[in-house]
Amino acid sequence: MSDAAMEISVNPDRFTRGSKLVDALSKAGLAFAILAVVLYGSVVSPAFFTSGNLLNVLTSMSIVGIVVVGMTFVLVVGGLADLSVPATIACGAILSLGLQPMIGPLPAFVLAVGLAGLIGLLNGVLVGYVGINPIIATLGIGTIGLGIVQAAVGGVIVYGSNPASAEFAKGRLFGIPVVVLIFLVIALIGHFVLSRSFWGRWTLATGGNYSAAEASAVPVQAVKAGAFVITALTAGISGGLLGLTLQSARPLIGAGYEFSAITAVVVGGVSIIGGFGSVPRAIAGLIFVQLLTNVMVLDGVRTPIQGFVLGILIVGAVGMDAALRKRGVA
Amino acid sequence: MRFLSLASQHRVVIILGLTLIISALVVPGYFSASTLGLGLDRAATIGLIAIGLTVLLIAGQIDLSGGAVFALAGIISVILQREIGILPAAIVGILVGTVAGAINGALVVGLKVNSLVLTLATMLIFRSLAHWITNSQPVSGTDIMLSLALAKTYLDIFTIRSALFIVLIVLLHVWLTRTIPGRNVFAVGSNPAAAKESGIASDRIVFFGFVFAGTLAGLAGVLQSLVTNTGSPVFGSELTVAVIAAVVVGGTRLEGGRGSALGTLGGVLTIGSLTIAMEFQSVPAYVQQVVSGLILILLVVLDRAVTTKGRASGTRPALISDNPITQGGTT
Amino acid sequence: MTAVADCALDMRGISKIFPGVKALSNVNFAVKFGTVHAVVGENGAGKSTLMKVLNGSYAPTSGTIKVGGTDVRMRRPADAQALGIRMVHQEINLVPDLTVAENVYLGRMPGKWTFLRKGEMVRKAAAVLDELGAGINPRERLGNLSISQQQLVEIAKAYAAQPRIIVLDEPTSSLSEHETAALFRILRKMRDDGIAIIYISHRLKEVLEIADEVTVLRDGSMIETRPIEGITAAQMIRLMVGREVSNVFPKSPAEIGKSVLRVERISDGTRFHNVSFDVRAGEILGLTGLVGAGRTEVARAIFGLSRLVEGTVSVNGRQVSIKSPSEAVKAGIAYVPEDRKGDGIVPGMSIRENISLPILRRLSRFGRIRRGADRVLAADYVKQFSISPPDGERRISLLSGGNQQKAVIAKWLAARPSALILDEPTRGVDVGAKAEIHNIIGQLVAGGMAVVMISSELPEILGVCDRVVVMRDGRASEPLTRGELSEERIMALATGEEAA
Repeated sequence: MSDAAMEISVNPDRFTRGSKLVDALSKAGLAFAILAVVLYGSVVSPAFFTSGNLLNVLTSMSIVGIVVVGMTFVLVVGGLADLSVPATIACGAILSLGLQPMIGPLPAFVLAVGLAGLIGLLNGVLVGYVGINPIIATLGIGTIGLGIVQAAVGGVIVYGSNPASAEFAKGRLFGIPVVVLIFLVIALIGHFVLSRSFWGRWTLATGGNYSAAEASAVPVQAVKAGAFVITALTAGISGGLLGLTLQSARPLIGAGYEFSAITAVVVGGVSIIGGFGSVPRAIAGLIFVQLLTNVMVLDGVRTPIQGFVLGILIVGAVGMDAALRKRGVA
Repeated sequence: MRFLSLASQHRVVIILGLTLIISALVVPGYFSASTLGLGLDRAATIGLIAIGLTVLLIAGQIDLSGGAVFALAGIISVILQREIGILPAAIVGILVGTVAGAINGALVVGLKVNSLVLTLATMLIFRSLAHWITNSQPVSGTDIMLSLALAKTYLDIFTIRSALFIVLIVLLHVWLTRTIPGRNVFAVGSNPAAAKESGIASDRIVFFGFVFAGTLAGLAGVLQSLVTNTGSPVFGSELTVAVIAAVVVGGTRLEGGRGSALGTLGGVLTIGSLTIAMEFQSVPAYVQQVVSGLILILLVVLDRAVTTKGRASGTRPALISDNPITQGGTT
Repeated sequence: MTAVADCALDMRGISKIFPGVKALSNVNFAVKFGTVHAVVGENGAGKSTLMKVLNGSYAPTSGTIKVGGTDVRMRRPADAQALGIRMVHQEINLVPDLTVAENVYLGRMPGKWTFLRKGEMVRKAAAVLDELGAGINPRERLGNLSISQQQLVEIAKAYAAQPRIIVLDEPTSSLSEHETAALFRILRKMRDDGIAIIYISHRLKEVLEIADEVTVLRDGSMIETRPIEGITAAQMIRLMVGREVSNVFPKSPAEIGKSVLRVERISDGTRFHNVSFDVRAGEILGLTGLVGAGRTEVARAIFGLSRLVEGTVSVNGRQVSIKSPSEAVKAGIAYVPEDRKGDGIVPGMSIRENISLPILRRLSRFGRIRRGADRVLAADYVKQFSISPPDGERRISLLSGGNQQKAVIAKWLAARPSALILDEPTRGVDVGAKAEIHNIIGQLVAGGMAVVMISSELPEILGVCDRVVVMRDGRASEPLTRGELSEERIMALATGEEAA
């Protein structure tokens, strides 16, 4: 039969990642990169390896990190990227502060996160069920969502009115900042869901081979939509915490977070075409990117260059992903 | 179903007509020449970028970095005015757009990656460069009189910018419908496999599509900077959605293979008249954003509904014809 | 003209070996200018591979090719086109968003500088289409045409390029009788113009009508080339299938029970119509026919991967409405797809993860996959089916085709279906694995399962199935019972030599 042969010769393995050796190499590479940044930072700047600085890095990393957990699901399921993150963060931040006087801090927070989740649901329905390109869908929905949130508060900055909630968000528990703890809990939950639950397995299968997953009775549309809901919820939480710590929220509070999150996930080695990746990988990518930016800041590099470096990192990681796929080695 | 696909074919006319009627009802004196001229001038910025994007979308690609290139080109053309004079600076500004487009094109063709993801990254890079160069501050040019000259209207309606847009869109129309490379763009976007098999150099077409789109974004940015005598790193950040919305309103498909210059003209005019109408009513910018976002999403969903319904149920043409296994079985 | 110049194409000793499989073995194939040369053979006989060698898509492992008497070497389709070889594929490969005329001249549009001479192009295209008797407006957008019209445009495109050799692969599969007659007229004209025409078809009646010579391929070898005079359809069928039916296929000794899966008068509106059959417990029902006859579409629709517009499906006497695979699984139907790589496996996942995919929820508690539950499941099936290597953690894409297929079948057994549809379960697997898969199927029916097996391979159908339904052009025959089965009978039904 000629068919077997054609399968082998002209239909190269669509999914070539995951060989144990390459997997180990890429993990080692990431660890090495992180180590290199730490060493370089310690040498260049005496301020780098101080507990104060590292705690700062950890705290600012936690806010992005919460989004990274969600974004990992979007990339793994084959959803390319969620560009509505600035809108969902703004939604979380503005509403959790703005609603405080009316319904109290905790209900305000919960409602804010819930509404962010609703934006995610819209994304999810458009991407998963209607079949719209995720980047266009989330770009459009993000624009709409951001506009509505701005309209709701009249386009101005919202300030917090509940000092106790601010104290809590800025406080520490067992000597660790609360924000960091929340990030760790969400990361653990995310990791558990992606690697241990049936939902996570479905997410990986849907990203790995959509039609095979569909033919294996996986509810692929719901799984795809779910990834966007998860990202919106995490972004909502992240936004709420950001608002509480800053005690003020402007509509553009979340600008740039989508790129930080995407960079971290992609640099962590999560495949841009889906089917492969884990939360710890994405977080390792995040640690690398955050330490790198921190070292650059300490080194006196101005902020715009950081965006530049992020962009280069994305291109590099995506290019590497594509090259490895093409040669079929990784 | 017939109605839906008919409506989607002629939607530019319908949407533009509706927009004009509603605007006229809401805004008194909407059809005065000065209002129209202002609207056209406003639309020209979106329009110039949309011209480039039309070609790219027909070829089955997209460029999200247009807004950032717009800002970067404008800044460079303003900064260099002192050094080399206004006209050379403007030319260098446009060339910056060309180079940015070439980078996008080379990366998309060379790495064979999704242009959405890639231009997302280059958008970040170009935008950061703009911030970097200017230290995140707006920069201003040397000759304020030039701005006034550029903003002048001729024949009561056209500014230099809007006239340029109209001329370019007519040229684009001729190019897309009457020339061999123009028709090949459709072939590449509609069925890349067939195009390739017929000996059409799809990679080259895609590459030059990006170069073209970058150049036009650069041109739009330079003109904006000349008119406002300013270059700012935040210019153009709200343009991405508006431009995509304009092109999609014009009937160009995100999936490639279908679109027209005249449709884009209609789409640009629609977005332009909406903007002007809302500005006259002092509708805040964020509401305008909501409107362009809504238009984009609604039309993309409509497109989707029409294409999936139009296809026979239960068949998977793409999978079946792409699949070497099913083909092998024919023997 | 000398004898050498007479010979449009001379392929000698062509072999094509893919890793592990010999697709063509020492094939000699020669075509003269000014003749129509038919190539016939079963699915998988090597026709497509041979044509892909001819149009430069595949480089032959060994052998020589002469075109018009000179040795040539073709590395890509463009090389073949430069030599005047044009292919008309069975699948339409045109640009739906361009006009008919632009498609006919795709890649070779007439023009000055870059400006398109539209009038000239439309005129020339109209002339070509007129010659074909197609009655198609060259200014029409291609996507608005029917499939049969698009097929004619595909032929017009090849013809307009004024080829020396033209290959037509099942060109009439979507044409009406009238259009076929028109096509034959033009083929005769092309032949009289001295073009060499290679005509691939399953429709033997057409072959007898149009061809001057016929070559029969079987199992990757050239069996015979003969002038068309003095050969009958029956003789061709015998040459196509004529292998000894070896007894590698275990007959199912299972006891046949009551009807499990019954479909009645189902259609999807386009690809198949009014199909009815039923499978009983312990029975293997064969579903065969030529590729494109609608077999896979029927299976996918029953399993909820596409929609039915008419007809009913019942399982164990209860009518079910299935809109998604998970509903099919709930109803007790499982489906092993034809395209293993595309629809069967998630290549980046391990055997364990693949096997447990359809029943993950059953293996989970509070959303968490129970520790070791999927491992035990996978280990069981790896052992039961002797999947090699016997390591559930192995990435499934690293397995051989046969072992992948066993894992895909295992995936569905875990869901405990009462009816199992297997779509080309042994395509592309080696002989040993094939026997193992047949064994597994035998065990399943012995355990009371109802099995529908779709296969193009007649010996397999004959050896394994209790009853056989033959499909042609989206319609199904009455089931043939074991006593009525023969390769000739099935081929006759499949090619339309005998009314279904």
